[in-house]
Parts: sequence; structure tokens; C-alpha cells
Amino acid sequence: MKNNFLNTLIAKAQKEESPRVYVAEKVIAILAADDKQLERFWNRPFMWIAALSSAAAVAVAVLAVLLHNMWVGPLYEISEVISWVM
Amino acid sequence: MAIFTINKSFVISPEWTFVLYLTGILSEKVKLMIDRTGEQNPDIEQSLDIGDVRLSRQGDPDAYKRLIERHQQEIGKIMWRFSRNQTVHEELVQDVFVEAYISLATYKERAPFTHWLTRIATRVGYRYWKQKAREKKFERFSFEEWDRLTTESPEEIDSSRAAELLHNLLGQLPPRDRLVLTLRYLEGCDVVETAHRTGWTKSMVKVQAFRAKRKLQKLLPKQEVVV
Repeated sequence: MKNNFLNTLIAKAQKEESPRVYVAEKVIAILAADDKQLERFWNRPFMWIAALSSAAAVAVAVLAVLLHNMWVGPLYEISEVISWVM
Repeated sequence: MAIFTINKSFVISPEWTFVLYLTGILSEKVKLMIDRTGEQNPDIEQSLDIGDVRLSRQGDPDAYKRLIERHQQEIGKIMWRFSRNQTVHEELVQDVFVEAYISLATYKERAPFTHWLTRIATRVGYRYWKQKAREKKFERFSFEEWDRLTTESPEEIDSSRAAELLHNLLGQLPPRDRLVLTLRYLEGCDVVETAHRTGWTKSMVKVQAFRAKRKLQKLLPKQEVVV
């Protein structure tokens, strides 16, 4: 009897009807809201300004490093010559 | 190629079934056929699912809505094993469909859409149990009541009460053990199906089920666990 108790419960539980759910509208609304949020992110003007200025800053930084190397090279050679003469 | 006969008057292929369904020509006939047989023809359902999955990937919300409407009761039934709180239950079903939409690109169309969806449902439910265990929220379970019930006739307990008792009893186990016992004995999945739904190997499922039964036996010392 006791051995069968758990099995009887399992057999009964398997017959249980679950409550009916209607989530289609809500899920579509959640997904649409997510899409709108993504759209809003890209529609913000400050977001675009920030993105463009970041890109410009990176380009300027690269150019600055290149110019620095270009100018510092000859100066270094002159200082080397001076130190050799001294 | 599978061919469907509609009302014995004409024959159409699965691809055309979907095209006609979309245009609304066939929808009533498909509904009629489903009503007559009492269950959906898996071939028709699969071709409708694949068509709607392809449209959903292209961003058609109506197609995804149709997919949800076709599968929400089935997923609802699975998620009812993970939470018996109606609000949480509905949220879990929603989570399944949101997660499925996000992962829609990974559906390879080799297996039926339902199989892929039940795997996501199991993952969402298991994650919910793990979160509850981390927060140390356990199901309320009275061992005194359990002992009292075992002396009574189990036939007097209705199916809903039986499911609740088992839900709360298994809730005393760690999520991993709870999952394997729920799938194997409450959902009635065999080892292969349990392995598919959990993403574990078959031997892993067997070992886990054995360990889980041993833990259940420790919980119920007065009762021999034979399942």
C-alpha cells in the first residue's frame, strides 16, 4: 500500500489539467518594445554626435602619434650628433 | 514527399499547404480537419511551423504570433510543472517564447519546432528553480501531512492535489534532482527524451535519476520509493 502511494500520486498528477494561458499578445508587445528601445537608441542625436566625435578623436590620436614620430626622429639624430661632438 | 488529402477532394504538398494557409484559403479547412480528428496532423503542423519560423526571422510579428498561439498551451502544460503560481507560470511561458524568438536563428528545421521549443522551456524552468534555490526559497512541505495522507486512501486525493503534493515534495530536492525526477516520472519522458530536453548525456540522466531517487528515499524514510 505504501509503495503504491507515490505511484498513485504520480498517475493522478499526470492527469492534471494545467491552466490555459494566452501570452501571444504580451510576448509580441515585449518584443516590439525591445525593438523600439533599440530604434530609440539609434535615433538619439547625441548618440550620433558622441559616436562621430569618438571616431574623429581616434583618427586625430593616430595622426598625432604619426606626426610626433616624424618630428622627433630628426631631433633625436641631431641630439645624438651633438652629444658625440661634446 | 508527404502529401495531404483535404476532404478527399484534392491533394496538396506541405509547401502549398503553408502558402494557402497564409492566404487564408485553407485556414478554415485545416481548422475543420483538426476539429474532426481531435488532434493536429504533425506533418501539416510542422510545415506551418517552418513557414512561420522563416517569416518570423524576417521580422513578421504576425507569423510569430501564430507560432505562439499554436504552442502556448503545450508550453503552458510543461511550465506548470515548474511553478504552480499562476502569475509566475504565465511569466515563465512568456520567457520561453521571448527566448525562443531571440534564438530563432539557431533553429535548424531538422527536428519539429515543438521539440526545440520544449528544450527551451526546460532550460527556462530549470533556471527558475536554480534562481529560487539560490534565494533559498523552498516549497512548503509538511512531512506530518504526508505521513497522514499515506495512511489514507490515495484514490480520494484529486489530481490537482496530487500534483501539488509531488511538486512540493520534489521541491525539497536540489534543482538538478528535481528536474530529472520531474521529467522522468511526472512528464513521463524516457531516458532519450530526458537527455534531449536537459542537454545531458543518456548515462548522465541515468546516474542523476538514481542519485535523485536515493535522496528522495532519505526524505521519506518511512516509505520505500519505488517508481
